[in-house]
Amino acid sequence: MLTRRLRAVDDQTASVVPSGRLLQLRPDQLKPNPNNPRRLFDPEPLRELKENIRQHGVLVPITVYQLKAQEKFAILDGERRYKCCVELQDEGLQIRIPANVVEQPTKVAGLLYMFSIHNFREQWELMPVAYSLRVVMRELGEDNAIKLSKLTGLGAKQIERCKKLLDFPEEFQQLSLDPDPTQRIPANFWIELHPVLALYEQHLPDVVEELGRNGITNRMVEKYRSGGVKSVIHFRRILEAFEINEEQKSTLVNTLRRYVAEPALETREAFDGFLAPKRGRIQNAIKACEGFIEQLEKARLDFATEDRQTLIAKLNHVRNYVISLVDRLEGGDAADDENTS
Amino acid sequence: MLKLLNAYRRVAFEFRDYRPARVTLASIDEWLAQHERTDRALLLDLLRHVRYVGEVEARRALVDQNKAILGQLQRAGVPYKKVIYVQVHDAGSSSPVMLNELRDAAQLIQRGCNFVDSKDVAGIARLTERLGDGAIIYVDDFIGSGHQMIGARNHMMQYAIGSFSEFALAVCICEEGAYDLTKLGVEPRARYIHARADRPLHELGTVFDAAKKQRLIDLCAAIDKKGGLGYEQMATMVVLYRNAPNTCPRILRGSQGQSPMKGLFPRTTDLPVSD
Repeated sequence: MLTRRLRAVDDQTASVVPSGRLLQLRPDQLKPNPNNPRRLFDPEPLRELKENIRQHGVLVPITVYQLKAQEKFAILDGERRYKCCVELQDEGLQIRIPANVVEQPTKVAGLLYMFSIHNFREQWELMPVAYSLRVVMRELGEDNAIKLSKLTGLGAKQIERCKKLLDFPEEFQQLSLDPDPTQRIPANFWIELHPVLALYEQHLPDVVEELGRNGITNRMVEKYRSGGVKSVIHFRRILEAFEINEEQKSTLVNTLRRYVAEPALETREAFDGFLAPKRGRIQNAIKACEGFIEQLEKARLDFATEDRQTLIAKLNHVRNYVISLVDRLEGGDAADDENTS
Repeated sequence: MLKLLNAYRRVAFEFRDYRPARVTLASIDEWLAQHERTDRALLLDLLRHVRYVGEVEARRALVDQNKAILGQLQRAGVPYKKVIYVQVHDAGSSSPVMLNELRDAAQLIQRGCNFVDSKDVAGIARLTERLGDGAIIYVDDFIGSGHQMIGARNHMMQYAIGSFSEFALAVCICEEGAYDLTKLGVEPRARYIHARADRPLHELGTVFDAAKKQRLIDLCAAIDKKGGLGYEQMATMVVLYRNAPNTCPRILRGSQGQSPMKGLFPRTTDLPVSD
């Protein structure tokens, strides 16, 4: 799979060249990759792997390259096996790790390797992923989400989220890069704010003209910092209010104007009033989900033969719709806090 | 009496360029006078185990170690223009000052080396992307537990693009910090690796007999019950001309605000706020 991905791009920029050496290395001869986006490891599979290694040793060689001017080898692939071996060594077990030595990869090859071999992507922090993706986009001149998804193994939706992040000027991105997590603006803030800015552009061009897109963004950052946005997910309430309140559009637009003008105006305080009368629709949707499954179960379709193809097509249609709706509803990264106070 | 006076003079001379508070015959006398007469010889004995690093020695240590790293990099085919020096910027940190001194003394700008602050993550992303590979050298005067440097390094390296060898360059690195840095693949380089066994008040220190050691530990605890032996109970004995590390025992640093107990080597943050 990886080979296919790497072949998909220019060989000169992306290939990882084997050196033909297989070494038996101690864990202390290895350097974990510092920009491994997969920083959180699921403890249970890790424990199983560790026990397996304790009994049988490392069976599948890891992939490493020699660092310049250092004795250590940097890990390209095999971080989990390395992590287990370090723990086993700390427990007093003498352990050697078979390692395929490759040439130092190019920038893009290194990045694609990182993207491709780590498949628990929901655990990745979004900002570093976005920065790495930007390099891939720049180096390969590719910004099509589907093609990038094929190259990196990231979901098309995650690529869109990264692109939204990168859409903000660097001065704003910097706010999500602060080493101090208490000062850092979560990456999700920008993703959730993105469509709200589009609302301003669509409905309040005079405000955009006066403050500029960056000026509005700055005000939202101030609002977030002062507690006027208690959770970044609350930005969706603004979008929801616009989506379901066609008849109150002018009142809503005025509220949107006040929302940027008054730093103390909290999101829910401003927009929940537009949502309350329509709250029944969510309950209806929940009931519809329950009723839908109940009816299908009642119909006992497991061995259905009549109109089977039509049924499959319809169910696929439902599935695709549901997946896309769930995607839209979920959003959010595990790593980003919601700042619910 | 003459022996004692000579001991005072030696101490005052050795520590003469300590910046946060001048060390003089009078300040040594004042420091000792706060303690029981029976403890004073022990305290003077403790002072003999302070590893003081003056300005000239600190600069020379950095320049020499840096020269060795650059030589190593040159031999491995890493040119100067692919070397990035990083200052680990935190409140009260000596890192920017040390890097400035090293930069000038080792003519790093003229050589084409690069400089970046560990907080400037976007700058690091840009620079590493441009260079593709090379070496990163983190500079500070003292690395204790290594927590501060490792935290800054781990955060910034998430954004580094390409392949970089990493070095931590300091005048002194404690055994604990050196171990953790090595584990991450950051090669520690220092004039002096401060072993735990070399620290008289450390749990593993064997410099003093048990009774003397306990008495000094008690004196530290009387000043600060929890943090008497410094951050993480490291009880380090290195004092640099710019500041004593926060891992230094309280008996040498004195109370926070220097009251009720004055220290011989107060940290800048230990000093009382002047009007």
